[in-house]
Amino acid sequence: MAGDRDESTTPTGDQAGVMRSRGWAATSDSIRPPSDDELLRVEDLTVRFPTEDGVVNAVRGVSYSLREREVLGIVGESGSGKSVSSMAIMGLLPKTARITGSIQFRGDDVLAMTASEQRALRGSKIAMIFQDPMTALNPVYSIGDQLAEAVRSHEAIPRKVAMRRAEEMLDLVGIPQPKQRVKAYPHEFSGGMRQRAMIAMAVINNPDVILADEPTTALDVTVQAQILEKLIEVKDAVNAAIVLITHDLGVVAGMAHRVLVMYAGRPVELGETDGVFYRPRMPYTAGLLGSIPSLESGKARPLRPITGSPPSLINLPTGCPFNPRCPLATDECRQTEPPLDETDDHDHRAACHHWQRMADADDPTAFFRTESEAAR
Amino acid sequence: MSQQPGENIPDERISPHGADPDADDQGLTIKARTQSELVRRRFLRHRGALGGIAVFVFIVLLAFSSIGFAGIPGWWGQSYLSTGVVVDGGRPTLDVLPSFLDGDGVGFGAHPFGQDNVGKDYFANTMFGAQQSIVISIVVGLTATAIGTVIGAFAGYFRGWVESVLMRFTDVMITIPVLVIGAVLGRTFGDRGILVLAVVLGAVTWTGLARLVRGEFLSLREKEFVEAARAVGASSNRIIFRHILPNTLGVIIVSATLAIATAILLETALSYLGFGVQPPATSLGQLISQYQSAFLTRPWLFWWPGLFIVAIALSVNFIGDGLRDAFDPRQTRVRG
Amino acid sequence: MAVFIVRRLIVSFFVLLAATFLMYVLTANAGNPLEDLFALPAATREARIEARVDRLDLNVPVPQRYLMWLAGVGSCVVPFAACDLGLNRDGQEVSELLSQALASTMQLVVTASVLAIIFGITVGIVSALRQYSGFDYTITFTSFLFFSLPIFWVAVLLKQYGAIRLNDWLAEPTISWPVLIALSVLSGLFWMAVVGGDRRRRRLVTFGVAAVATAGVLAYLSAVQWFRFPALGVGLVLVVGVGAALAATALTSGLGRRRVLYAALAAGALGAVVYYPIQPLLDVATWGTIGILAVVVLGVSGAIGAAVGGAVDRSQAIRAAMLAGFAAAFAVFVDRVLVGFSDYFSRTAGRPVSTIGSNTPRFSGNFWQVFLDTQLHLILPTAALILISFAQYTRYTRASMLETMGQDYVRTARSKGLTERTVVMRHAFRNALIPVTTLMAFDFAGIVGGAVITEQVFGWRGMGTLFIQGLRDVDPNPVMAFFIVTGAAIVVFNMIADILYAYLDPRIRLS
Repeated sequence: MAGDRDESTTPTGDQAGVMRSRGWAATSDSIRPPSDDELLRVEDLTVRFPTEDGVVNAVRGVSYSLREREVLGIVGESGSGKSVSSMAIMGLLPKTARITGSIQFRGDDVLAMTASEQRALRGSKIAMIFQDPMTALNPVYSIGDQLAEAVRSHEAIPRKVAMRRAEEMLDLVGIPQPKQRVKAYPHEFSGGMRQRAMIAMAVINNPDVILADEPTTALDVTVQAQILEKLIEVKDAVNAAIVLITHDLGVVAGMAHRVLVMYAGRPVELGETDGVFYRPRMPYTAGLLGSIPSLESGKARPLRPITGSPPSLINLPTGCPFNPRCPLATDECRQTEPPLDETDDHDHRAACHHWQRMADADDPTAFFRTESEAAR
Repeated sequence: MSQQPGENIPDERISPHGADPDADDQGLTIKARTQSELVRRRFLRHRGALGGIAVFVFIVLLAFSSIGFAGIPGWWGQSYLSTGVVVDGGRPTLDVLPSFLDGDGVGFGAHPFGQDNVGKDYFANTMFGAQQSIVISIVVGLTATAIGTVIGAFAGYFRGWVESVLMRFTDVMITIPVLVIGAVLGRTFGDRGILVLAVVLGAVTWTGLARLVRGEFLSLREKEFVEAARAVGASSNRIIFRHILPNTLGVIIVSATLAIATAILLETALSYLGFGVQPPATSLGQLISQYQSAFLTRPWLFWWPGLFIVAIALSVNFIGDGLRDAFDPRQTRVRG
Repeated sequence: MAVFIVRRLIVSFFVLLAATFLMYVLTANAGNPLEDLFALPAATREARIEARVDRLDLNVPVPQRYLMWLAGVGSCVVPFAACDLGLNRDGQEVSELLSQALASTMQLVVTASVLAIIFGITVGIVSALRQYSGFDYTITFTSFLFFSLPIFWVAVLLKQYGAIRLNDWLAEPTISWPVLIALSVLSGLFWMAVVGGDRRRRRLVTFGVAAVATAGVLAYLSAVQWFRFPALGVGLVLVVGVGAALAATALTSGLGRRRVLYAALAAGALGAVVYYPIQPLLDVATWGTIGILAVVVLGVSGAIGAAVGGAVDRSQAIRAAMLAGFAAAFAVFVDRVLVGFSDYFSRTAGRPVSTIGSNTPRFSGNFWQVFLDTQLHLILPTAALILISFAQYTRYTRASMLETMGQDYVRTARSKGLTERTVVMRHAFRNALIPVTTLMAFDFAGIVGGAVITEQVFGWRGMGTLFIQGLRDVDPNPVMAFFIVTGAAIVVFNMIADILYAYLDPRIRLS
């Protein structure tokens, strides 16, 4: 693994610089390595919503596995199905959702469980952190109440004991004066503090898996790094694995062991973080990398945005869903949807007919050169 | 407390801008449609509202075409004024049971809604009452909407002492039950014709709308497009009426519709108490009031106007509900 | 919080003051107060006019007359001073007229408000939780219908069909088979819609059980002439207590919590245990003893909950036990009221449900008989008055509940693994109540207006009559007496709503 991370061998060292320059303190080196024991296995997960306008294909055939203590990043634009797939794991989708496939937690099929078995899993074995801490906490109960409630719904212990646990957790996530803060209401907390409280709430029952859905998106940039750092610290304290859902490549680069890229409800690339970032085998991933502004002084690289917009999930284009926006698209792409297959790279899958062309290119983001850049 | 009743009520709050936030979360990408197209589509999908429109239009057509309006003669030959011979105790001759169901065949007969004790045709009477009630309630609705919009808009836009004065005044109005102040004003102005009465009643029923519009203005005045307008030096009047008001149109239209339904019930109640429409003018409430003592001997004199009141109020309420759903983009429904 | 209440109180006072001025001026100018005298023969006319002008100070300008009136009202708040609300047109003391009218009207208005709030909110929640179900559509349509009914029209119909037909039926209270079957089917449909569930089987079973149970109960009640000689007896008191215990446990913690369940059952059984020992005390009951007994019941139930609940479930056990204990005690109370019915039936010559007045004239009896007499007079006006408010509360609660059920914090609550009951009651419902409190103030004013009409239909000599007669005569003093009381009641209700709001929402409470 150490060899893979050698910068000199990477064709897109530019991007690596971007990640570093963002200044995330935690890198994958500092995170405790995962064990080989499989914790969570998602297989061919499909979620559809019937609506008045037609059937929305929110998630189509997502498969991945999560090992103990691993950090898996799921990256994609809004509407790519990354949140919906994790909500499916939690059993939090509305009743109208049509879910197929399988989700196995420690070998037990979550989708086959009864409602009360699922409930027993939620919050105790699998916990979730949501995007917007401003709305995710109930405004009418104190922080301590909401934390203690999470404990008491899984363990028969007196309120006082649960409140003490809540104080300890607030202390763990770095909230000063937890004894007083436990009585505070959400509106008395800043955004960053609330998200810390959300993290405390998620880990209060020592879960095995934490699903973090855009945990820093709604926060100030300066606070984002602190929260991510705290998330990793807390994860190691309770020995949990994390599924980190984000649209921010920088977050994933700093934290995740492996990355799953999603587009229009489909998994399009899956592999170890460095492999996906330095050697993308799917044009969409390359496009994402190219649309990050480079801050490296001296050699400014022009922005290479992806043109167009994501497809409607009701009327998906035939073939590869990315083909209308893809500079490499051919007739094949417009006719058949590529499966998520092995590529030349180690443990690195991509759903692209032309992954070989990506592998051959010096700089895969160059496919997304704008006309003005090409003219220069 | 600055929290105003109504502001927090989801049913009453309509923001005609932006798409369903939940839809974004779940990746429901919806084709770009114009706002008015969306509103129309949602409205046309509301079965209750369509039924409401059908009933309301039917009643309006029936009431105005049957006995005529403003001197134009209608197709129903009898006047609501002329007395006549009481036939069969004045019982209604309307028959909707077809002959194969043991009825006398579908037909209007000479006096479909019956007659009163001096032989007046009650159909003509009810139609005239319905005309008057509809006119009154629409005028009340329009007056209340105009006053409520202006007061709410100024209070919400200018804040400060303007808001304090206007909202305290609104509080004073709210302390007096509408029926009570309506009765006092009805006692004063009831004999000056229905239009005067309607405008007066409109002047006491605007409070709810004023609070709603104020709430909308309070949030809209902080929006970027208002700041942009202010930055280019638009006058306050221009910002209020050209920039903010169009964005509150949903709230206003819905409230105006519901105000009409409230108005018809208010007018009816006041007429019943004797503080509404004064004879010789008439209205549906006036008819019930006039004939209530005949309930045991001639129940139809009580039933017909009552049924028309209920039908008008119900259909208008359903139209209002449909409009509310149509203007409220959060009501995107996911059906299983 | 105290500062908040005091500030609110001061603002309310000035708002009320301004409203009285507005009302006084408008009423005084509503017509000519001497109109009825113009028709008199010339001989007596002048003298009568002069007498009235003199009595009502008609030669004093209206604003000045208002101040005189206000000074009189002010004496009401001065200790030991007699209340002076002025004279009416015929020279009667308005304060005397008011004291006769006040109690019955306030009872009507407050009963209607409380019932509308309880039923409206309950139905609204169920309707929201069963969105787009048959129950939801039925309730939605019914609310719209209730919104659209002229209140006096309903009142007249209720008088005709509710009272007269009901009295006819009570003379020979048997339920015929077709009616029994129809009622059973309706009950089955109702429970099927409320209990609901996704599976067809469960729905059908619910329907069957509810329909058969209803049919059985009705057939039994009809056979033993229960409606003629109603009572609960110790058996039904026990059934009510146990049922309330189960319901209270299901609502507060779920039936799985054994200690909560046992505490609630113990408290629920209390009613049946004390049923016989308490009767001698109830024979001499007054509102005072009833109130003391209620407090004792709550205290004892709470103590049972605290003792049985243990460390883990103490607060929930206390709550459930208090609910169950109160329900059982209420059953004992209702039993006692019902027992008096057959006696009352014969005293009213077989027409127990009254259509006129707020109580039977020259009726005397013990606490229970007087109570029954009042209730049977209240029942129809309250039913007429409640419809619109019920519809309002249902619609608001439903909309508010749907809004909160979609909030992020409800999703968070679910993600913590809370039971659906906790999610709905603790997280969604608590928040949904906040906007509903603001409706209370508005709605109360509407009920006051409605009461004026209902009293008129049912011939009560209440505050409504005071207002209507006063307005007809252009006689400001009775009108103002009506308004000062109802306006103050509206302001008080407003305050209660605001305080409740602040209690429910810490963002207001703490700012």
